Parts: sequence; C-alpha cells; structure tokens
Amino acid sequence: MVSLQPSSLYSSLTPSNLHNKQLSSKKYAIKSLLQYNRKPQLAGETPRVVVITSGKGGVGKTTTTANIGLSLARFGFKVVAIDADVGLRNLDLLLGLENRVNYTVIEVLNGECRLDQALVRDKRWSNFELLCISKPRSKLPLGFGGKALVWLVDALKDRQDGGCPDFILIDCPAGIDAGFITAITPANEAVLVTTPDITSLRDADRVTGLLECDGIRDIKMIVNRVRTDMIKGEDMMSVLDVQEMLGLPLLGVIPDDSEVIRSTNRGFPLVLNKPPTLAGLAFEQAAWRLVEQDTMQAVLLHEQPKKRGFFSFFGG
Amino acid sequence: MVSTSTLQLHTLSYSRQIAASDVDIRSNLLFDYYGGWNKRNSNCRRIRGFKKYMVRVMTDSLGGGGEEDTKGNQDTQIVVAQNEKKELSKLQSLVGRLEDTIISLPPITVLMKRNPGGSFGIGLGIVTMFLLMLVKGYVARQKKNSQPGSVADLVRRGQLKSDRRGISSSLKYEDPFNNPMVKVSKGNSTVEMCGKVYKLAPVTLTQDQQAIHQKRRSRAYQWKRPTIFLKEGDPVPPDVDPDTIRWIPANHPFATTSSEIDEDLAQTNVYQKHGVPFRIQAEHEALQKRLESLQNDEKLGKLVIDPGTAREYERPYRSHSKVEDPHEETPTNGQAGLKPPRSDNDLNSLPKKPSSEETKKPEAKKP
Repeated sequence: MVSLQPSSLYSSLTPSNLHNKQLSSKKYAIKSLLQYNRKPQLAGETPRVVVITSGKGGVGKTTTTANIGLSLARFGFKVVAIDADVGLRNLDLLLGLENRVNYTVIEVLNGECRLDQALVRDKRWSNFELLCISKPRSKLPLGFGGKALVWLVDALKDRQDGGCPDFILIDCPAGIDAGFITAITPANEAVLVTTPDITSLRDADRVTGLLECDGIRDIKMIVNRVRTDMIKGEDMMSVLDVQEMLGLPLLGVIPDDSEVIRSTNRGFPLVLNKPPTLAGLAFEQAAWRLVEQDTMQAVLLHEQPKKRGFFSFFGG
Repeated sequence: MVSTSTLQLHTLSYSRQIAASDVDIRSNLLFDYYGGWNKRNSNCRRIRGFKKYMVRVMTDSLGGGGEEDTKGNQDTQIVVAQNEKKELSKLQSLVGRLEDTIISLPPITVLMKRNPGGSFGIGLGIVTMFLLMLVKGYVARQKKNSQPGSVADLVRRGQLKSDRRGISSSLKYEDPFNNPMVKVSKGNSTVEMCGKVYKLAPVTLTQDQQAIHQKRRSRAYQWKRPTIFLKEGDPVPPDVDPDTIRWIPANHPFATTSSEIDEDLAQTNVYQKHGVPFRIQAEHEALQKRLESLQNDEKLGKLVIDPGTAREYERPYRSHSKVEDPHEETPTNGQAGLKPPRSDNDLNSLPKKPSSEETKKPEAKKP
C-alpha cells in the first residue's frame, strides 16, 4: 500500500525489472545483485531544463542543486548546473569548484571565451559541469538575461564534443526580481524548495503562481529541513500539512541534518559522503524520482522507537 | 657469570665425589647444563629418581642380608653401612646444592652464548620488517596523493580537515531505495534509514486537489513575465505590452548596468563552438592594424629606443638595412642604442628632428 520505491510506469517496465521478477523466485543473491545494478529510467525529452527555486532565501536551493546534480551525475546522466544567481553565486563553493571558475557567461557573451571554456568539469564525476552566470562584481545586462540563458540552453543542446546534456539544472536566486525572471525563462519544469514554516510557504505559493502564469506546469516540491521530533511534538507542520497547503506533488523530503552544514563548508556535497547521511540519502531518492518523473507515495511521519528484541537486555 | 662458574665448580666436585660408576648422571648433568630452561625440570626429576634409587639400593643392601652371613661379617657390614650412610648424606646434600644451582641458572644468556649468530638473525628480521612497513606506508601515501580532486586534494586546499578524512571518501552504490542503509518493512508501514525507524504515511493529494490549487493561484496571481526592463522615466516603446514591462528604480543596482554588448553579437558568441573568441580576435586584429598603420606611417622609429632590437620586429626595413649598412648590426658599445642610427636617416622615413624624449634620455643617463 505505502511505498517509498518509485512506482512509475517507466521503472516497472524496464528490462532489468522484468528480469528481476523472473529471477526473484530463484536465489536471493542473484536478485540483490541485479537490483544493485538498477538505474533510473530517464523520462521526458532531453535536455530537461529544471529550475530550482523557492522565493524565500536560505531554504536550501543551492544545496539542493548541488546534491541533486551530483546524484544525477552518479546515476550516469550528463548534467550541467547553471548558477543563475548573478550577484551572490554560491554553487561553486558548495561543489568545491570555486578555484576553477575562470570564465563565466558574461565572458562568453562578450566574446572573451567560448562556452566550452566557461564550463567547469567536476573531476569527481566527469559528467557534471558547472556554469556560472557572472563573477560577483560583474553585472549581467538586464535587457537580455533571459534570452542569454535560452541561447545557452540551445548551444548546450547542439554540443558535439561532450554531447547534449540530459539535465540542465538552474539554481535560481531568491526573490522574484530580474534574477528570478532570467532563471525561469528557459525552464520546462521546476523544483520548488520549501521548509515547513509559514514564511517559506507563503513565498513558495506565490512563486508557484508566477511559474504557472509563465507556463511552467510541471512543478514538484522538496520539503527541506524536516524535523520529525518537532512534528511529533506538533511544533512543526508535517509534510502532509505542507502538501495540503500548496497542493504540489512531492519530489522529496529532506530531514534536518547537521552534516549539511559540514559538507557545505567542506565543498564536498552530501551525497558523496561515506557513510551516507540521512539527508544525503533523501537527496538521492529525490534525484531518482526526478529522473523518472515520479513523486513520493509515502512520507516520513515521525521517528519510531526501535523494537527491542528478546536479547536486547543482554545487548543483543 | 658467577652462577655459571659456581655451577662448573659444583659439577666438578660432584663428579669427583660420585666416582666413575656415575658417568651417566654426570653426562646428564652436563647435558642439563647446556640444555634449556624447559629441560631443567625434567632433569631435576630424573636426578631425584636417581637419588631414590640409590637410597633404595643402599637400604636393600643394608637390610637384604641372608641368615647364612656370619656375625664377624655383620660387624664389618655395620661399619661399612655407617660409612656409606655418611657418604649418602653427603651425596644428597651435594645433589640438593646442585639442584639449587641449576634452578638459579639463567638459560637465555646461556643460549645467546651458545648461538651468537641467532641474535644477528633476529635483529636482521626486525630491521627488515621495519623497512617493509616504511615502504608500505610510503606507497600507500603516494597512492592517496596521486588522485586529483580526491580527499587528499581537498585537505591540501584546506576545505577538509585531515582528521575527518574517513567520512569523505565517496560512496558507491547505485540504488538509493535498495541499499544497506534503507530498509522498508514488509508491511510498508515503516522505513529504517541510517539506523532510525520512521513511520510512513501515504500521500493523499489527488489530481482534483491539485487542479483546485492551480485555479486558486491563477486567480490570486495575475502575472506576465517581463520582457523589457525600463528605468523610471524612460519612454515606453510602441510595440511593447505594458504588462510585460519591469520598471526599475533609477537607483537600483541593475538600473546602473549599462549593456555595452550588442545582442546579436552576444548570440553569435554563445553559439561559437570553435576558433578564437570574438573579443580576443578583435583585439588581436586591432593591434595588428595599429602596428601596420604605424609601419605604413613610418612612425615606428619614434617609439624605438634601441634600434638594434626594433629591427628584429621591423621585417621590411631589416633587409634594406642589412644590404646598405651591415656594420650597424654590431653595436659598438652599450650606448649604441641611444644614438640615433644612421640607417634611419638613410631611409629618409623618419623625421629629422629627434623627439624630446630621445634627446632627454641620454642626457639624463649620463653621470
């Protein structure tokens, strides 16, 4: 009845899954091996241009972009992450690539470098590339900020050497000003990041309205910084409450995790951590659903006390 | 050393006392002397057994006489027996001292003395093992440092503390729903993630509810994406929808941005895949044109302080100068460049009067 597993049509019809079903009755070892090699089935036309937005600042847009981007790259998809925050870019810091950003889109527009020179390839996962719109002090001309991103997406589509990317993730700046307009212009779908508090929800609702007015209908929601202990104590809205208020399908629920800050400061995204963290796993699951255009069928309510076994008294 | 010497003395006295019939015991003792600590106890036991045997023999010999023996013989036997008893007691005390000496013997020292090559072998083994450990550590460190973009690289960049390196090696699993960290219960009511069990609840949002929310938002937010940004006070272009204009205050940071980039040119720049970027090429061409124009106007000599070096860049004139005056190739002294060369005058391309800079510089450099 309730399942965390992706339940989309694409995943259920993949050859590997059919093979799984055939082999499931034989040996457990073979089944687990096949499932380990399972990969998400890419749905929709490529490149999928996804804008990650929120309205309110500080809810985790850039963290989400970095982690979902690297998760997608780890799944084997070609990803280009565009930091569309003109004045206050941070995506390069989160990815640990700040020392390698020499050229930005501004230099590309000015003809000081080509687009392929402005793309920063991540050495950890070579199918992940970063593109910054501008350096902190330079300013993007307002007149064609949106158009420039559309050209960029077109140019990335026509790439011959590296191939067309499967995903173009655009990290949107906070607010609904010129930066927001620039970021959403080339997007086909949106991921709305929100936290379970009323300020964030109000902004998220407004941004969703603007996105819908702009013609972006495929909007999914990530609820970030969820604390199950506070939900249990009725001090925080539950994820289901948030969903009821916004009426958006859920892409993921990210628990509040101190590892997020640690990974941010280290420039080492959470999803690469070993051992995996709770938030890192949740980001990976969200990335999986994004690939398959799937949504959550069940959400985490609260933490349950672990059942103690008969030998627990003896430390078992 | 002291104990060893005493042992030797005791063995000698022992051998002297016991006489030739006890060759076996002496050989045993000598064997014990050179033997190890493990053999010592067993040999002690053997000596004790021998002692008992001797006593038994003595007592047998004392009490085992027949009735056929005469009384005269009995007297002599008694005397002999008393002497033998004395000797036996002496022997017992000697054996006891010998036992104590053997117990106090340090056998490892003896072993080391016996096999002087063994210690060298052990030392060599320890040194070899230590060297192997060092080499292994060095190789492992080299392997770790060789990967670019690795954790070691992050540590070098200062983004990662070296004491937290353990948690930063990248994870390699491919399915976030099926791995050792995520376990969904059989009834799909709970999920265990990272050792914590969470209760699950089904999502109840329906398509109808989503549509209702969309309608609500479409009523609440009437919005058109701005296509043009105008500063306050700018005239509205005639073919622009007023709803798509974003008015920016004059003091807004965006309003102060002047776009010097031509839109069409910017588009071609973005689409450029190969070759030299536009701006770089344009700057290069502009410099080349300037150089050419300078060459055409023959104003190059004005800029040149050292004509010897300038001539290397001045190809058309270089051949002429070589033909006309080959001596100018070799500067006479360090100030050769300071003098206006004759070739320049011969070419009739430069103005006769030297510039003010050229005249001033040599004077200034003179002491």
